[in-house]
Amino acid sequence: MKTYFRSALVRVGRIFMFAAALALVLAGRLDAQGAGARGQANTQAPATRAPRAVAPKDLTGYWESIVTEYWRYRMIVPDKSDYVIVPLNAEGRKVADAWDPAKDKADGNECKAYGAAAIMQVPGRLHIYWPDDSTLRIDMDSGTQTRLLHFGGSAPQGEAPTWQGYSVASWEGIGPDSQRGGGGGPIRDATIGGAAGAVGRAPREVGGEVPGHLKVVTTQMRPGYLRKNGVPYSGQATMEEYFDRFSDPYSGDTWLVVTTVVADPQYLMEPSITHAHFKKIPDGSGWDPTPCRADEPR
Amino acid sequence: MGSHAVPGRRTALIRFLLAAIGSRFYREDEQMRFTKIDWKMKSLWFLLLLFLVLSSRSLWAQVDLTGEWSPRIYNDGRDVGDYTGIPLNEAGRLRAESFHPEQFDLPENICRPHAFDIGLRVAPAQLYISTELDSATQQIVAYHFHAYWSDFRVWLDGRPHPPEYAAHKFSGFSTGKWEGSALVFTTDHLKEGFITRVGAPLSPKATVTTRVTRYGNYLTMVFMIDDPAYLAEPYIRESSWVYDPQQIIPAFPCEPSPEGTIIPAGSVPSYLPGKNDILTDFAKEYGIPPEAALGGAETTHPDYLKKMKTMKTLPRTTTKHFERQG
Repeated sequence: MKTYFRSALVRVGRIFMFAAALALVLAGRLDAQGAGARGQANTQAPATRAPRAVAPKDLTGYWESIVTEYWRYRMIVPDKSDYVIVPLNAEGRKVADAWDPAKDKADGNECKAYGAAAIMQVPGRLHIYWPDDSTLRIDMDSGTQTRLLHFGGSAPQGEAPTWQGYSVASWEGIGPDSQRGGGGGPIRDATIGGAAGAVGRAPREVGGEVPGHLKVVTTQMRPGYLRKNGVPYSGQATMEEYFDRFSDPYSGDTWLVVTTVVADPQYLMEPSITHAHFKKIPDGSGWDPTPCRADEPR
Repeated sequence: MGSHAVPGRRTALIRFLLAAIGSRFYREDEQMRFTKIDWKMKSLWFLLLLFLVLSSRSLWAQVDLTGEWSPRIYNDGRDVGDYTGIPLNEAGRLRAESFHPEQFDLPENICRPHAFDIGLRVAPAQLYISTELDSATQQIVAYHFHAYWSDFRVWLDGRPHPPEYAAHKFSGFSTGKWEGSALVFTTDHLKEGFITRVGAPLSPKATVTTRVTRYGNYLTMVFMIDDPAYLAEPYIRESSWVYDPQQIIPAFPCEPSPEGTIIPAGSVPSYLPGKNDILTDFAKEYGIPPEAALGGAETTHPDYLKKMKTMKTLPRTTTKHFERQG
């Protein structure tokens, strides 16, 4: 009788363990499918929580630009017509060749090289913080400019364009849209459908780094300059930016890398891609606000 | 492979589950042997299963990097004497100043590859990324990066880096891991080479950490170069590509000329310290203070602009210098 009772207990125990394991596996699969479905709306899952609360990386604080690339286009004002590497079309070149900084100054257009499409390239410091739970604010001491990155929604219609335009921000890479199991080819565009299932689960923290980056789409920009020497972008330009943060394995410094893609059907043959690198600094003690200047690098 | 294929992790998991279910029916006769210790042992399968389920999640947290990528950053377009933005130390600057552009015309240098990172920056750096799979498990053990002037593998299977005395190559030795949605790999065992095509040096002691991130159809690589011999601090730079499956990417295109080169055998063009008469040409053409053009960590900070205002520039010889770069 005792043996029979123990045997029954063993069976119940085994069934329980198997059920628990099965539940784990199924829960994972359901999670993957659910994540896939959520992916169609560009990882809307965290929408119930404030963007600030679900931020995968903390971008706030003071940052200083470190000009290791395109120094000669950023730390000096390049000569007129030096638009090397910028994919300008003929119309764009014509406008660039007519650059007149004195005229910009006289017309009150000294901020043309401090607009959203160029400002991250201007040497200086950033102060990034959350004025509220769904807006990330970037103050820049160069040109004393401010960008507001709005999480959720879309650009309001009928607004007058501004130097910094209207920026819509979202966290990316924390959902399945950017995750693939192999096979090559482009990542599917969730906006044209087909994102559900088959892409596995959302990533988790691996190797001490949290997955995810900030994507920012900016429109309604007032026409300005991609470079200080009058290389133009038009009011039709749109901009995608990707902000990522990581630690330097050698020095331990914290870096913010901004990859910028500007598309402009009026002046560019194809999107222009630039990069800007910022190193975290402890505070704003070096903050050096300057006015917009048409004839100086910052 | 065929029917002898070793099952993948997911298949193994299913088999394990089936075996567990099976044991429920096949092993009734063993119930008498079920002791307290045995009970604990049997419980281990649950923990093992839990481990398998959880560990398998990280494998799915990978971004697909494979395919063909078209570069969107071309030649650095630098001239001799242009070390702007590079945190060279004194030794690095001295070495850079001794570089003569005709060194690339030496027979032994004509087909000399670039170090892996600059090889991805010189045009045309059409890039093809593929995976290498373990034949038994079909798991990714390496990513293979191939461009015109750069070809290397990034091992993901946990193998250690070779000892210091092992061979150094232009492709170096790279191991990587996924950090979130970025593939991060570290390269060492690099052969002495250049950071730029105009002589900024890279020593065999250099280590490069690269972060590969895919933003939709854009691929970005951030290179962090640490060279204790020639750099005062790590040097960060970045390159981008656009997904483009329509490319034709040839193999390494270089063939040494059978006729030899214009440089006579036995001669190595170079400049002795202080004797480089073309060193300041770049600074003159661009209107940059010569000292600033020679790089250094200080020159990369915005506050250096204030210092530059106090520095002298040389009389400019042209304002159309950029035209030769197209």
